[in-house]
Amino acid sequence: MNVPTDHLLALSAILFALGVLGFLVRKNVIIVLASIELMLNAANLSFLAASRHWSQTTLAGQGDPSAGPIFAIFVILVAAAEAAVGLALVIALYRLKQTVALDGMAELRG
Amino acid sequence: MSAMLWWLLFTPLVGAIVCGALHFAALRAGHGSLDQGRGGHDRHAGGAARALAGRVACAAIAVALGLSLWACLRLARGGETLVLESSTWHWIAAGSFTVDLSLVVDRLSSVMLLVITGVGFLIHVYSLGYMAHDPGYARFFAYLNLFVFAMLALVLSSSLLGLFVGWEGVGLCSYLLIGFWYEKGWPAEAAQKAFVVNRVGDACFLVGSFLLLRLFGTLDLSEIAGANFHLLGARSGEIALAALLLFGGACGKSAQFPLFTWLPDAMAGPTPVSALIHAATMVTAGVYLVLRLNPLFAAVPAVLFVIGCVGALTALIGASSALLQNDIKKVLAYSTISQLGYMFLGLSAGAWSAALFHLVTHAFFKGLLFLGSGSVIHGLSDEQDMRKMGGLKRAMPRTFLTFVAGAAALSGLPLLSGFFSKDEILARNFALGGFHLTLWGVGVATAALTAFYTWRMVALTFFGAERFDRAHVHPHESPALMTVPLVILALLSVLGGLLNLPHVLPGAGLLQHWLEPVTRAGDELLRREVEHGHVAALTEWLLLGFGAALALFFAQRGFHGYTQGPARDQALERGQPKLASFLAGAWQFDKSYHARIVLPLRAAAETLSAGFDRRGIDAAVDGAGTLARALGQHLRALADGQVKHYALWMGMGAALLSLTWVLG
Amino acid sequence: MAEALFYVLGAGAVLFAIGVVRARMPLFSVLSLLGTFFCLAGIYLLAGFPFLAATQLLVYAGAIMVLFLFVIMLLNLGDAAELERHAGLSLSGRRLVVAGSAAALLGLVGLAAADVDAVFAAGELPEERALDDLSTLARLLFSRYMLPFEAASLLLLATMVAVIVLAKRQREKNPFSSAPGARAQHSEEPVQGGVQR
Repeated sequence: MNVPTDHLLALSAILFALGVLGFLVRKNVIIVLASIELMLNAANLSFLAASRHWSQTTLAGQGDPSAGPIFAIFVILVAAAEAAVGLALVIALYRLKQTVALDGMAELRG
Repeated sequence: MSAMLWWLLFTPLVGAIVCGALHFAALRAGHGSLDQGRGGHDRHAGGAARALAGRVACAAIAVALGLSLWACLRLARGGETLVLESSTWHWIAAGSFTVDLSLVVDRLSSVMLLVITGVGFLIHVYSLGYMAHDPGYARFFAYLNLFVFAMLALVLSSSLLGLFVGWEGVGLCSYLLIGFWYEKGWPAEAAQKAFVVNRVGDACFLVGSFLLLRLFGTLDLSEIAGANFHLLGARSGEIALAALLLFGGACGKSAQFPLFTWLPDAMAGPTPVSALIHAATMVTAGVYLVLRLNPLFAAVPAVLFVIGCVGALTALIGASSALLQNDIKKVLAYSTISQLGYMFLGLSAGAWSAALFHLVTHAFFKGLLFLGSGSVIHGLSDEQDMRKMGGLKRAMPRTFLTFVAGAAALSGLPLLSGFFSKDEILARNFALGGFHLTLWGVGVATAALTAFYTWRMVALTFFGAERFDRAHVHPHESPALMTVPLVILALLSVLGGLLNLPHVLPGAGLLQHWLEPVTRAGDELLRREVEHGHVAALTEWLLLGFGAALALFFAQRGFHGYTQGPARDQALERGQPKLASFLAGAWQFDKSYHARIVLPLRAAAETLSAGFDRRGIDAAVDGAGTLARALGQHLRALADGQVKHYALWMGMGAALLSLTWVLG
Repeated sequence: MAEALFYVLGAGAVLFAIGVVRARMPLFSVLSLLGTFFCLAGIYLLAGFPFLAATQLLVYAGAIMVLFLFVIMLLNLGDAAELERHAGLSLSGRRLVVAGSAAALLGLVGLAAADVDAVFAAGELPEERALDDLSTLARLLFSRYMLPFEAASLLLLATMVAVIVLAKRQREKNPFSSAPGARAQHSEEPVQGGVQR
């Protein structure tokens, strides 16, 4: 596939931006968590794009093209763990507050 | 041999430490709380620890006395130039300036040693009886021993710096002992006053020693005394200044004009303290200093002139103020000031040995008088006002007789020690002529006043009707522990004149001969400046006779005027109220110091404290705290618990960071 | 061909992402996210990372999204009436849309997979093998990246414990109802579910 790396990175950027937007704007905790997953995926994409770039160019000696997939695997792993814990927190909070709106959860107010 | 000197010096310190430990042991055992004053006569404050303290202290001084005697004997056998020395290590070694930790005993210090340890021992024994019912018994002996240690350090040190350490040490012990009964309030103030006034003198002392260091490159006393002053002729101004400043220090310690106001207040301390510190030893440190550095002072006769004026003036102030005092200890305090003035008068005439002689005899008879007054006070259950005494000679015979001996010596009645020592000083001043003749006149006037007030004191205390409250006060003779030292001191007061009889009598000038190796340099320097011959024999006899007659006459006038009580004082107060208050208030120096120095200083301190310290510094410190809190309050708004806001801040921060990374 | 596919999949990913952010109910948001994952998997495949594509589908789409759905169902946010109101389509219409989209996606992915071989065969990539060769990955994971690997396993362990502790229902008096994470109580007013804007 002869897509220039820039385009891949641009896609990643757009997805990341959308994720940040959702994270900042939405009140529902579950949607916020979904936005976080979106951000992580965007990051994954950029990793792989870079890995592909380094393996394609003649600067193959520089960098480690296999680091991309490896890191992507770890990102997926961590995202899974984080999603699990986040959802568990949602459940616990729901039990406490009977709501999943972020506005109502200001317990850590200083 | 050299180790003996260290034993001499440190035994009293060990005694002090042991007594201190015993004091704390007694405290823990429940005897002698610090909160009790001297009122507990009925309460027998016992405790084995306390009793031990007294004995330990006396033993320590006895050891010191023994070693002092040994040192004197060695010097006596060793010839003129023998000096006992002992050095240890360098105390200060800064480039070319070194100060060693070493002790020296020469003929001058041997005399001082005997006075300090001898009279000190007697006073320690006396205190065993006097302070027996005091809760602070062990503490007292600890301080007393500490004082002897400091005084010995002063006298034994070979360097001006070591002397200063002892100088400060005795100042400290004086403070501690004057304020011994601090819970009563005014002794603490008196102690502070003594310390502060001494400080003024100490400042002069320090600056003087800095100058000496600059001039001579050393602070070693023998090196300074042995320096060739003629080579430094061009810098005689500096030498004079240094000498003057050292004399300023001496004024502070020896209560000379204008730094004498602390001594009468120092009578707030227990009587043994007044005897030891403020009569026999500490106040003589100034005289010792001048004696030790006599070549320095002799090289600048102008300074000797100043010393003479100050001494004479002080003598006059002291004697005239003692005329109208009602407190028996205050009479003796002003008398001490006056007699110290005599010593400096002697020094100014170059009569080194005469001054030392008077120092020694004064230690005897003034110590005796103080201890005797303590016996009276003790017997009258703490009454010190002479207007409430009278007729005690029947109730306290031994005290009475010894007191009379002391009074006779003080007033210069013929053949007693005071007569010879005072006469020697006056004769030397007379012989010098010129301005010293005026000083002689002042000295004679002072002698008259001395005789007068001394016998007034005797009359008011021991003769006449009993003016004390017979219902509550039962005068009794003091125990042997107190009267035996009185007797010994009385013997010394009577026979002490033999130490340095005038030249016209056989066996004369023992002390002068003894002291010659020390005073030779000073004498030579003076001889170049002043025609300084011995008084002719006839003149000497005339002066002796004149002095005797003067003393007898005024003693009789003083005695006679007061055998019926203090009526004459009241008449004077009515007739000449301003004169009376002027004299009673020691020429109103205290008042003027208070108004001109103390109050402005206090006002300045208040201003600084309220204005600068409280408003400036405290405000800054508190302000920092308030600022931090206010800042915190404002920053608090950021932590509102809303995850979205946190996320926003994080996002903005991350964007900023990446921007910096990309651009930078 | 592959490039066109990439742009299509990319556009799809973006559209689905917008759907995630804009959805009115959390259910729709999560489903859109699922769509994004599929598109991204396709892109990974095109870019030459078949193993990653598979992992993406397995873990993200297969596990994480299922978890999300479980939680949404557990919390019972919103009710059927609201769902009806927001859906905009009838029940059969919705079923048709879902089936259609699933088929389309699968088709796309399959095309992409089929095209990969052709791409490789055409020799457009200098390397003959995939960029995430499994043997290479495995070798690296157990040698150079051993530490992160072990750390990741510890992380998973911790996560398991944390999740159990957090989500565990506080012990009621009834010892027989030991199901982890009980249903939440019903409250009178509709629970604030996918309330947005």
